[in-house]
Amino acid sequence: MGIISVENLDRLFWLGRYSERVYTSARLFADSFDRMIDMDMDNYAAFCRQLDIPNIYSSREDFCSRYISDENDPNSIYSNLMRAYDNAIVLRNEIGSEPITYIQLSVYDMKKSKVSRAPLVGLQKVEDNILAFWGIVDDMIENENIRNVIKVGKRIERLDLYGRLQVNRESIVREVHRLAGRIARTNLHYDEKNLEELKKLAEEEQIDYDRVVTLVDTLRKD
Amino acid sequence: MQNIELTKRAETVNELLARYGVKFGIYKNNEFKEQLFPFDTIPRIIRKDEFAYLEKGLKQRVMALNCFIRDIYGEKKIIRDKVVPEEFVYISSGYLAPCDGVVPPRGIYTHIAGIDLVQGRNDEWYVLEDNLRVPSGASYPMIAREICRKSSPVTFETYHVEDNRYYAKLLRRAMDYVNTGGHTVILTPGRYNAAYFEHSYFAEKTGAHLATGSELMVEDDYLYFVDYSGRREKVGAVYRRISDEYLDPMTFNEESVIGIPHIYDVYRKGHVALLNAPGNGVADDKGIYYFVPKMVRYYLGEEPILQNAPTYLPYYEEDMRYVLEHFDDLVLKDVAEAGGYGVVFADRMTAQQKADFIALLKREPRRFIAQEVIDFKDIDIVENASRVPRKADLRAFVLMADEPIVWKSGLTRFSRDPDSFIVNSSQGGGFKDTWVLSQ
Repeated sequence: MGIISVENLDRLFWLGRYSERVYTSARLFADSFDRMIDMDMDNYAAFCRQLDIPNIYSSREDFCSRYISDENDPNSIYSNLMRAYDNAIVLRNEIGSEPITYIQLSVYDMKKSKVSRAPLVGLQKVEDNILAFWGIVDDMIENENIRNVIKVGKRIERLDLYGRLQVNRESIVREVHRLAGRIARTNLHYDEKNLEELKKLAEEEQIDYDRVVTLVDTLRKD
Repeated sequence: MQNIELTKRAETVNELLARYGVKFGIYKNNEFKEQLFPFDTIPRIIRKDEFAYLEKGLKQRVMALNCFIRDIYGEKKIIRDKVVPEEFVYISSGYLAPCDGVVPPRGIYTHIAGIDLVQGRNDEWYVLEDNLRVPSGASYPMIAREICRKSSPVTFETYHVEDNRYYAKLLRRAMDYVNTGGHTVILTPGRYNAAYFEHSYFAEKTGAHLATGSELMVEDDYLYFVDYSGRREKVGAVYRRISDEYLDPMTFNEESVIGIPHIYDVYRKGHVALLNAPGNGVADDKGIYYFVPKMVRYYLGEEPILQNAPTYLPYYEEDMRYVLEHFDDLVLKDVAEAGGYGVVFADRMTAQQKADFIALLKREPRRFIAQEVIDFKDIDIVENASRVPRKADLRAFVLMADEPIVWKSGLTRFSRDPDSFIVNSSQGGGFKDTWVLSQ
């Protein structure tokens, strides 16, 4: 279908953002979890600070359980996955049944990891499914605008997370270029001045991370 | 056919059904839940000659129902000729006065009909109910077949089964046939509707656009889909999956927030086709059901091929007498209810319940029909690794374009409760594929 409503354009964008949020936060959690096994039991506090989420957790165990799978914690990986699912499920017409299956499988795997004492195994499956989802988006969705809008969501989310986490300059530069190339190929309304400033920031020796986050979060005009 | 290889692949089939999110929505304690629709791999099998008989009868029935609706909202000859009493028509909740005098594109009202049948132990088929508003369910056997073929190809090498995956083509054909020029849209109330999976699946498979009411607008007597840039695309056909009363707040229920203001005016002017036509509820009312065999004779001049379950209308004195005399042998149905609700088996009532019900029946005779309890032929399902018999019905689908076409499959629903006749998914029922043999 060549026609997309404004609601569904927005959902495509957020599907991209939430799927990326699940993927990256699962990977970050895996690093943190590993440290908490026997090195730094309280690493979760630093993790929350880095991601700018409230530290509502009472202990390492509480964090490991709730951050993965608590449906009442809006910052949990599960909650973000359900937001990706809620967007995907109403986009069958735009993206097709096959891509949706990978989001659906992620939900099942996430539920399984909830009861596991080795949650990274389940989370690995979630990551695999998200990667497969992005692969199938490229492979099966014919409408270029739909593909691009999902990817812009993904790029914006990744830059937002990278900015908060203050990752290395090269990663920021790479993501800014990817975003700039992609957003120009969509019909999304965005602030061109913000984009230009973002590109300039990426050329600086010292990245102003806070400014990156602000610019990324205000890039879309809709 | 006791050893169908597919039945050994139940786990694979169910995993794939879960993967594809074959679900239905249900509200429990005011909370929306999505549930997988339980599937049983033992198919209902219909012989080729048996289906040919059903096909003939179903076409005949749907053609007569289409004639009835056209007549009721047109000349009303069947009322004048006293074949159907007018009070049964005009007090039916499905009769919509705004539809009077409105002729839909190409005169088709019943584009997609779901006719519920049961097979008695005597092998006779009986029609239990006609669904002419928004019958749902075809997507489930369609996707189940896709998955079953993937899970057990050898089964479909061994048995010669009509491929049922052409339903989307039939549906598209029905929509295109009446399209007045423009895009084809499937109108859904949204994600939290029980049949949302079906709406989105059909949109994908037919290439129609899935839309909610907020994505469509009326301007200058035409219906448009509005895209993200504000561009308007004309819509020529709407397969609407929302009830008549919510379709247009300007004509029907003014509190509807899921409808499209003035869509009915566009339809009235012949600028868009609505599938199924608004007002069809007058013909699938449980009270009107009694008269369908008479409609077949009246409009088509033929003897009905398919029979109704023996039905009594307490509205008629003679029938009321019969109902009171044989009360314990009957099932009573409230004509205003659907989805398996409002159905009571008299032999399961306490003495007090019976007394209360009879009093109600006498006060509101038009509200109920009474039917003989048909001794359904049970169908086996697999439960805890054993085959056990359960009650099941068959929803057959008839799609109308230049001629009625009966889909060579159907939704077989079964009760999971051994003591229940209620097969509805909303009440815990499951489903099976329906095989029509091609040889």
